[in-house]
Amino acid sequence: MSGRWRQHLYHALLWLVALFFFSPVAWIILSSFKTQDDILAVPPKLFFEPTLQNYADLLERNAFLQQLTNSIVLSVCAVIIAVTVSFLAAFCFSRFRPRGTDFLMFLLLSIRMLPATAVILPVFLMYAAFGWSNQPVGMIMFYAMFSIPFSVWILKGFIDGVSPRFDETALVNGASYWHVIFRVILPQVRPGLIAAFIFNLIFVWNEATFNFIIGGTATHNIPVALWTGAYADGGVDWPFIAATTTIYLIPPVVFIYFFQKYLLVGMTFGTVRGEV
Amino acid sequence: MADSSASKASRYVLPDRRNAITAVLSDRRYLPAILLIPVLVFFLVWNTIPLLWLLGLSFHNYSLTSGDDPRFIGFGNFIRIFQDWTVWYDLSRTLLFVFLGVTIQTVLGVLLGLLFWGSAKLPGRRFALTLLFAPMILTPVATGTFFRLIYDPTFGVLNAMIRALGFEPIDFLGSANTAFWAVLAVDVWMWTPFLVLMTLAALGSVPKAELEAAEVDRMPWTQRLRLIVFYHGKFILMLGILLRTIDSFKTMDLVMQMTRGGPGSSTKLVAVTLHRQAFDAFNLGWSSALAVFLLLISISFTATFIFVLNLRRQRGQT
Repeated sequence: MSGRWRQHLYHALLWLVALFFFSPVAWIILSSFKTQDDILAVPPKLFFEPTLQNYADLLERNAFLQQLTNSIVLSVCAVIIAVTVSFLAAFCFSRFRPRGTDFLMFLLLSIRMLPATAVILPVFLMYAAFGWSNQPVGMIMFYAMFSIPFSVWILKGFIDGVSPRFDETALVNGASYWHVIFRVILPQVRPGLIAAFIFNLIFVWNEATFNFIIGGTATHNIPVALWTGAYADGGVDWPFIAATTTIYLIPPVVFIYFFQKYLLVGMTFGTVRGEV
Repeated sequence: MADSSASKASRYVLPDRRNAITAVLSDRRYLPAILLIPVLVFFLVWNTIPLLWLLGLSFHNYSLTSGDDPRFIGFGNFIRIFQDWTVWYDLSRTLLFVFLGVTIQTVLGVLLGLLFWGSAKLPGRRFALTLLFAPMILTPVATGTFFRLIYDPTFGVLNAMIRALGFEPIDFLGSANTAFWAVLAVDVWMWTPFLVLMTLAALGSVPKAELEAAEVDRMPWTQRLRLIVFYHGKFILMLGILLRTIDSFKTMDLVMQMTRGGPGSSTKLVAVTLHRQAFDAFNLGWSSALAVFLLLISISFTATFIFVLNLRRQRGQT
């Protein structure tokens, strides 16, 4: 009996830890159902009359739906391009090992390790000179570039894990290399593709700095809106921030819930395997 | 049997070789190049050209606010940066931020990871872990903005708790003494779950058989941790710490939202300085030089990361 109680206690403790880390997020979600007065009440109210007015107001903002669409379009397009390109390159790196593979892999990774501004400053100048700013395609290509290093690293690791005997068997049987790539390798590295897809998606989804500097109204996504649109009537527009953040948090959380086993692969560029 | 598989596979052989494009595409000699071309194009256009641009600009005196054309000044910008004590101050601030942040996160992460080790039977485990990992996937801009409210001396929920305990409210982000620690606390909150994740992965890589053998041999648990758990888990943990160090070094958007580097320069991390010099003050030449400097630091971080990764491969652990 005491063993069971200890187990219950242990589980309660784990849940408390999880809830502790979640509490600031929960506070944001709670605030999204409050009026501005309730959010700024002293002392802060834990119990209040919930309202959906903030969400109704969001829909009335013309820019909101546009920005939400931008978020979706930018992240999905950029990631699809990045994963496709990276998959081909990763296959090449893994199977043909052209000269300079290690060096290129190193260069790719170091892009990902740079402070954002160090990357964005020259791109900003380049885009200004070529007239590519404020164009969705420009942003998509840029985000694709930023997602490629990560995807190549993940996918190369996964393709390395597929035995070359599969390729050989297919080739001996008369298949073309494209058949090998898309029909033999692709199905076997699906976890890698999913991990690359989701983690780049979350990255682009949450990215504000590049978009704020390089983009314009045609490309601004929700994080930029949170950055720039936070002020109204001389104060911070808390209901707007809370409601937008809450809506915006739903897709990543759903992804993390359903694809939890890819979390580790995703957060370590595929250098660590396993599940939590 | 050979016949049937051959006929099945032959569907995928490109039958018509008259088309020049398909001929090139299916040629084994060109294939590696064809596969690499897209990535190389991206690399060239969105990386090499901008980097060369950055490098070129770092040797020029160029500011968007002055309206003058870029003027070549050789290593002038670099000399100015090395002689500018504020840059060194920001750098020392950043190193302190990285060191304290990563240390606290590692200690907390490892402890919580060990706590979560036996959580396989936790009811709603998936949901609990999703809640635990939520800070990492929350939009950083939103995190930064909303923590301004949480830290607010009048309206903030944190100060409400402090008042309830009978203390004076603290203006966390408004005073130079506390702002650094307040930002550090948010960073710790955001990224401790990452180290929990890495610790869980490291613990998962420990062979069960060795632990069982140790139990049979009644090895004391301190030795079990040191000789078995740490021995097998250290590489994954090391990679986690390195990744966190690199990411922590680039912390920018969080600080920009919370304090913009202030008050004074108490939270001016070096990435924040770079951002503000480039896009608030438009000192493009100077900030290019600083960017080149940070680039070299990042490359050395990356080299360390790869070194550890290779070390792990050589030990034959995956």
